[in-house]
Amino acid sequence: MRADHIRIYKSVHTWTGILAGLALFIAFYAGALTVFKEPLRRWSTPPAASVPPVPMDAVQPLIVQTLTSTPAAARSATLKLEGEQAIPRLQWQVRTPGADDHDESAVRHYSAMLDADGSVQVHEQPQPLLVEFIDVLHRVVGLPTDTDPHRWIMGVICVLYFVALVSGVVVLLPSLVKDFFALRVGRNKKRMWLDAHNVVGIVSLPFHIVMALSAVVFAWHDQIYAVQDRLIHQGQWSQAPARNQGGPDFMRGFMPERDPARMLPPSQLVQAARAAAPGFEPTGLQYLQVKGMRPVVRVWGKNPQAVAPRAVGGFAAIDPYTGDLQASDFLPGAQSTPSLFISSFFALHMASFGGAAVPWLYFLLGLAGAWLFYSGNLLWVETRRKAQRKGDAMPVQRRDTALMAAATVGVCLGCVAGVSLTLAAAKWLPGRAADIAAWHMGVYYAVFFASVALAFWRGAARAAAPLLWLAVACTLAVPASSLLGWLLPASGAWADGATLGVDLTAVAGALALVWMARATARRVRSGAQDSVWSAPDMLKKSEEKAAAVLIQ
Amino acid sequence: MTDATAKPAIRTDWLSKTLAGLLLGLTLAIIASGLLMVRLDGIPLPVSGQLAMWLVPPVWLLVLSLVYFFRSGLRAWAWLLAANALALGLWWWQQ
Repeated sequence: MRADHIRIYKSVHTWTGILAGLALFIAFYAGALTVFKEPLRRWSTPPAASVPPVPMDAVQPLIVQTLTSTPAAARSATLKLEGEQAIPRLQWQVRTPGADDHDESAVRHYSAMLDADGSVQVHEQPQPLLVEFIDVLHRVVGLPTDTDPHRWIMGVICVLYFVALVSGVVVLLPSLVKDFFALRVGRNKKRMWLDAHNVVGIVSLPFHIVMALSAVVFAWHDQIYAVQDRLIHQGQWSQAPARNQGGPDFMRGFMPERDPARMLPPSQLVQAARAAAPGFEPTGLQYLQVKGMRPVVRVWGKNPQAVAPRAVGGFAAIDPYTGDLQASDFLPGAQSTPSLFISSFFALHMASFGGAAVPWLYFLLGLAGAWLFYSGNLLWVETRRKAQRKGDAMPVQRRDTALMAAATVGVCLGCVAGVSLTLAAAKWLPGRAADIAAWHMGVYYAVFFASVALAFWRGAARAAAPLLWLAVACTLAVPASSLLGWLLPASGAWADGATLGVDLTAVAGALALVWMARATARRVRSGAQDSVWSAPDMLKKSEEKAAAVLIQ
Repeated sequence: MTDATAKPAIRTDWLSKTLAGLLLGLTLAIIASGLLMVRLDGIPLPVSGQLAMWLVPPVWLLVLSLVYFFRSGLRAWAWLLAANALALGLWWWQQ
């Protein structure tokens, strides 16, 4: 490879990285937490909102009555299963007409339960949407709602991300063997950061390639399908029968409506799904168009021995009236090879394969990814540093590096602190706030923008340590809320031994942030002064304060 | 030039190379997905169509990422146009 190529690709890497880095930090930090969506959902659900399970066939009267009497539920309704039991509550959603497919805020949630005399009670159920909000931050790189334009922005970021990955590898290739196992810890701090950036980048390269390519698909699949439909599939794609649930409209009226009372009970549907794929453990039943011409029950579940096509698992499509298996395209453990191939792209993005170790691996890879983008920005700043020559006056650092340093510190730490505080808020909002979802969003963005503002106002050096301590405080608020709920149940907060892992992970995260805060404060006070990271006067001020205290 | 054997410098040509990668990389990726569809003839469309869609981003973005290796923007356009023409010809021939 020629030196020219290396030089050109260094520029490509620098500019794609600097444009995409901060957005990707948010996507990866929030994405690492999204791996644990279900534990976080349980952690943040108030005990009053949880309904104790009953034997699953005892729910059949609720299912039959609700699907018969409520047209919206007859289109699609879900029952949650827990082992051999079920939560006696049927849930469905109504989407605002014309709203974006992916926009969770345009969805209204309803649930039906039987009251004491056996009649169906339907309630609109406002969703706390805490984990959905963190997931949205992850999906659209820190923007508030998952809409088409936001996803297109994410797509552009991911194109830059992929080009940054390839260009980074090209730049590193000639010296890869020499540099790969080298972490030169020493006087040259920039060298050390570069070594660490390289080693994390190369080790997690397969993970990042998967993330970049699949995220581009998530952003633009509709557009790619539309182009392919016109140029390749001759319009057959948009008419594919699988997308046309419920049969053609002109047939309606000729066919009598099916009677949900004749459907098989949940236990038989579950049995049919288990028989189709050994190892498959059902977690829910989704009734689709049960009164129409093509009634389906999707038996959703997980199979630890197989690749799951979606983050929540996969499903067996079963006829609710006969128990026949209609399709196993999405059934983990029973997919055809081409379907399994497609599922693996989703599974590799969403960590929905393997056992319990895989989510933790993805959590760590996600945090390492966030660090990769943070360190990339740091290296951009340090490469443009004006060093002080012996005997010369202290140089003034370039304005763009000072601004980039402030943006990096403000955005990254603001995201960390904001996510932590909005998590902690989940234990205090129920019963106090009407629109909990809006509060989660408000808390996050308040902390985020305040952090960014502080970073630009005070500069990176003076803002970094205080923002890290803010992140420590916000993260400690997570276990502190659980602890308070345990000590003082009257506070409205609560503790749950089953989700202690969330609290312990937050404690570990807070300790890591404490270490960073102390190291950063040390560097700001007593590190080399010809740098955007130096503010030795902070030491003087605190010494003056200490002296004043002593004098008094 | 002091060294007579030195190769000519590689032109950066940021705009023309990037446009070549973005546009011709995308067209090449779409044609490649058409070629894949010919290969996947026996698989039902709801499945093969998904596979063809998933092929587009990797081909497109690899072309975009590697386009800066060309010695100039003009060469990038020429080679990628040739590659597009070749792939298109292959596709027609296969159909």
